[in-house]
Amino acid sequence: MADRPDLELIGVTKRFGAFTAVRDVSLAVEHGQFVCLLGPSGCGKTTTLRMIAGLEEVDAGEIRIAGVRVNERPPWQRDIAMMFQDFALFPHMTVARQVAFGLEMLRRPAAEIRRRVAETLGAFDIAAFADRKPDTLSGGQKQRVALARALITEPRILLLDEPIGSLDFSLREAVMLELRDVQRRLGISFVWVTHDQNEAFSLGDRVVVMTHARIEQVGTPEDIAERPRTRFVATFVQGTNVFDGTVERAEGDHVRVRTATGSFVVPARDGRPPDPGEAVSFSVRAALVTAQPGGEHVNQVGAVCHAVEYLGAIRRYDFRLVDGRSLKLEEFTGRGRRIAEGEAITLGWRVEDGVLHAPAEAPA
Amino acid sequence: MSPLRERAAVSYVLAAPGGLWMLVALVAPTLFIAWVSFWASRTFALSNALTLANYVKFFTRPAYVRVLGDTVEQAIVMMLITGVIGYSIAYFLVVHVRRPAFQLALFLLLVVPFWTSALIRTIAWIPFLGVNGVINQALLLLGIVDRPVEAFLFTRTGITLAQTSFYTLLATGPVVYTLRNIPRSLPEAAQCLHATPLRVFWRIVFPLTLPGVVIGQILVFLNVMADFATAQAIGGHKLAFLGNLVILLYESGQLTFAAVVGVLLMIAMLLGVAVLLKVVDIRRLGAP
Repeated sequence: MADRPDLELIGVTKRFGAFTAVRDVSLAVEHGQFVCLLGPSGCGKTTTLRMIAGLEEVDAGEIRIAGVRVNERPPWQRDIAMMFQDFALFPHMTVARQVAFGLEMLRRPAAEIRRRVAETLGAFDIAAFADRKPDTLSGGQKQRVALARALITEPRILLLDEPIGSLDFSLREAVMLELRDVQRRLGISFVWVTHDQNEAFSLGDRVVVMTHARIEQVGTPEDIAERPRTRFVATFVQGTNVFDGTVERAEGDHVRVRTATGSFVVPARDGRPPDPGEAVSFSVRAALVTAQPGGEHVNQVGAVCHAVEYLGAIRRYDFRLVDGRSLKLEEFTGRGRRIAEGEAITLGWRVEDGVLHAPAEAPA
Repeated sequence: MSPLRERAAVSYVLAAPGGLWMLVALVAPTLFIAWVSFWASRTFALSNALTLANYVKFFTRPAYVRVLGDTVEQAIVMMLITGVIGYSIAYFLVVHVRRPAFQLALFLLLVVPFWTSALIRTIAWIPFLGVNGVINQALLLLGIVDRPVEAFLFTRTGITLAQTSFYTLLATGPVVYTLRNIPRSLPEAAQCLHATPLRVFWRIVFPLTLPGVVIGQILVFLNVMADFATAQAIGGHKLAFLGNLVILLYESGQLTFAAVVGVLLMIAMLLGVAVLLKVVDIRRLGAP
């Protein structure tokens, strides 16, 4: 079965009454992959996760785990584990009992349970409070107990619903890296739901961007950040400038787009070239905009510096274009002078740094 | 946290009116009854000699001991019946009736009968239970029996039926409250850890509702122990519990002996509550 993806979603749809929470979602997770479902709240990412777990029924489509259809299987018969945002620790059980719970439910022999619980408590560094109940633990400790409890049964896939969302901000970075290490060490697949782009980009082998019940784009963090497929993805990713306009003309493999602040050349997308007059949008990453445009920076635009943020390694400028829209620029510090607030300047970017977006799908 | 420190003088002052009322209306009469129960003579006199003879008399008369046994037995039977039915109702209301409006409507439907007085509710049971009562007519109509059943009115069965209708809701309310307090993620997490629904219930849901079950059981226990009206109206004069015995003795002028039964009833209630509280710490009720 090693050639089968750990998880496949094929045209999965979920409705709550008249509301469609997840529409025709297809996705494959290869063995040992770390996949992040990223999107704003209400986009259907948590519902998708709950369908994979079996906590919600699938209205249409198919879910397969290791190549086997599991639509009709209840959660307790699926080879998955789940971590909840509130950790869902059982308040009446000690840490050791919680961790043993999954193995007890699988009716493993008592000796095996004792041995594996001891191992797991040690591995997750929670043996010191094995006899304590959850209400006496800190957020970070609860998180480790929840993880130990989920992983002791050696599931094929771990589903995580905003697993660090309820932790103190200062803890998140460390916990994120810890979870990443655990995933690499055990080699099991993680499906991690988050609305936080930094989490998704720093953890995911692949990132699935969702909005309005649909998948907008699936790709590596680099794909998502550097080649946003749709306007939504471009606006959702920080440090990306979005331009709206209409097609002036298609010039071979380039498209000239007229916007309120000028006319720009953008590489065409594969497939049908857009018709003149068609409404389109494109994006340019803030890091690829330069304040010293040369001949190679075909696209140029006048702007006034509105605000400067100094972030250590980089400086982030917020410029205003003539129509009042904002254009962001990021550059490494230590090279070049700091542009003063209120200073008028010409900005530019290369043709190949623009990304034309796919036309918006008609809301079904 | 209360802004009042526990031992601050002002908190004693604030507690004084209530405390005084409790002292006069509850503590003093209770102590007085206990005192009367040790009186050697039957008449009122402050200089009465004290004796244990009244208690010896109670425990050496098999008829009285049987009433004590019957009372405790009735309380235990009622706790079992209302516990099972009450929990089922609570579980149905919270888990299966998802729509809040429907939940409220059903709950009101259960509560409305309790807006009438206990006396009327008790008397209302008589036309149901009699030989020509509603239950018998229904059974005859359905062909389940071919002669009216006489075991309903003036029997323990009848009392148990009526008390079930009176007290089940006492066992339901606290369970509804504790069930509602269980986050949905807990049973879901258990399911994802390979627990079947039955095991989710016994390992997760039931232990977490135990405080509610115990509080309900305390309410039912105390009410059944103290209930004399149901036995009087539906049991006729053929059946008696400790409460009926107190009235009987009081009405026949045996004050000291009535006090003995009253004290024993109180002790039985305190013991019962103490045992129930051993099961669970109700001060933690509502804690997540």
